[in-house]
Amino acid sequence: MRVRVLFFGRLKEIVGATEQEAELSDGARVQDLFERYGRRFPELADFRSSIAASVNQEYAEWRAQLKSGDEVAFLPPVSGG
Amino acid sequence: MESPKMQTAVAEDLFQLVREPIDARAIVPLVKAPEDGAVVIFDGFVRNNFKGHQTLYLEYESYEAMAYAKMREIGAHVHANFSIDRLAIVHRLGRLEIGETSVLIAVSSAHRAAAFDACRYAIEALKHGVPIWKREYFAGGAVWAEGQKPTQQAISAPGSSTLK
Repeated sequence: MRVRVLFFGRLKEIVGATEQEAELSDGARVQDLFERYGRRFPELADFRSSIAASVNQEYAEWRAQLKSGDEVAFLPPVSGG
Repeated sequence: MESPKMQTAVAEDLFQLVREPIDARAIVPLVKAPEDGAVVIFDGFVRNNFKGHQTLYLEYESYEAMAYAKMREIGAHVHANFSIDRLAIVHRLGRLEIGETSVLIAVSSAHRAAAFDACRYAIEALKHGVPIWKREYFAGGAVWAEGQKPTQQAISAPGSSTLK
């Protein structure tokens, strides 16, 4: 299944892209997607405990299962305001 | 009662992400109605220093679609928990110079106590739960502001530990 993956802030710099498409096996979880990027970009893995994940613009658990067409975002600590 | 997720902000509220200077004089009249007796305004603007560095300028970026959704949710929770009339949250993105407003929050109500409480809640919820990021530019380089790990709880739980 295909999902869209978004990175912001420092994560965007590490990955070198704002938005990507990813091909995943059915039943893959948010954490599986993050771990895939973490293998390619080890510095990304360092952020695991300080970032949040969202699916379709709602905060999501790392173990949430994804479905085709989902938009996943990895969100570093926010600093608006 | 509807779950908070199903509530929508009232029609007269204003939630905006903008890329030009924020003018409070244009926004405040939008929340004032004849039945109101008070407007509380929070103006967050760019400080000239951070962590011992002199700031040159800031840049803000956002996951805009989600930021709009979370600002509207903040509005829904404000209305559910505080007796207020209207709420405006306007946040600027892109490059901001020292002294420029990054966020303006205006809350109107018949009486001041609810307006103060609602305004405080709204800025704390925004700072802990809305996907907006600040990059600080100083003479030695640039860094992303440390920030807060964002949570849904920051959006939907007034009176939680995020209010200090």
